[in-house]
Amino acid sequence: MKNTLKVLRAMRDWSQADLADRLDVSRQTINALETGKYDPSLPLAFKIAHLFGQPIEAIFQPEPNGIAPPDE
Amino acid sequence: MSTVNTVNSAGRSYLREFGSAMLAYSIAVPVSLYILQANPGASWRVLIALLPVVPALFALWAFVRYLGRTDELQRRIQLEGLALGFGGAGILTFSYGFLENVGFPHLSYIYVFPLMIALWGVGVAFANRRFR
Repeated sequence: MKNTLKVLRAMRDWSQADLADRLDVSRQTINALETGKYDPSLPLAFKIAHLFGQPIEAIFQPEPNGIAPPDE
Repeated sequence: MSTVNTVNSAGRSYLREFGSAMLAYSIAVPVSLYILQANPGASWRVLIALLPVVPALFALWAFVRYLGRTDELQRRIQLEGLALGFGGAGILTFSYGFLENVGFPHLSYIYVFPLMIALWGVGVAFANRRFR
């Protein structure tokens, strides 16, 4: 999964440690999320979305070769 | 930053508690052996022989507490470490058990747990690198 965490964090001038404290996770978790090495659980994704005041799908996008959303 | 990072404090408590338990263990082993050698016929030798298990239980308790308080990535890393410790030590000791059927010397059960812990550590180190 891709995400815009790094950009959102930079816009607020927060360090990885600042964001880690606000989400109550380790700094390693923030780094793994930003580099796309780890996908968050749904509760953590909601917490991130709430913190940045955006819907989850505005922050996290599936990889282009991932599973496509169902057709309407 | 005014918010308290409970994951960081969980990690610090774990290191402190686990470290204290290991220190107590490293004292309990020679103390236990010394008392056993000095009292070859005593009835309470079983209890003294089990003395090092007490700090080991404290270490286990510290780990379980840490797992409950840390974040989801750390739990994932621990899962991968435990998987290598459990699976690796299981396969190795299982294989060696069969080798004893063809004359390999019998080894004490006391080596099983350290082997599990060593492989757990290797697994955690690998998982940590992957998520760095």
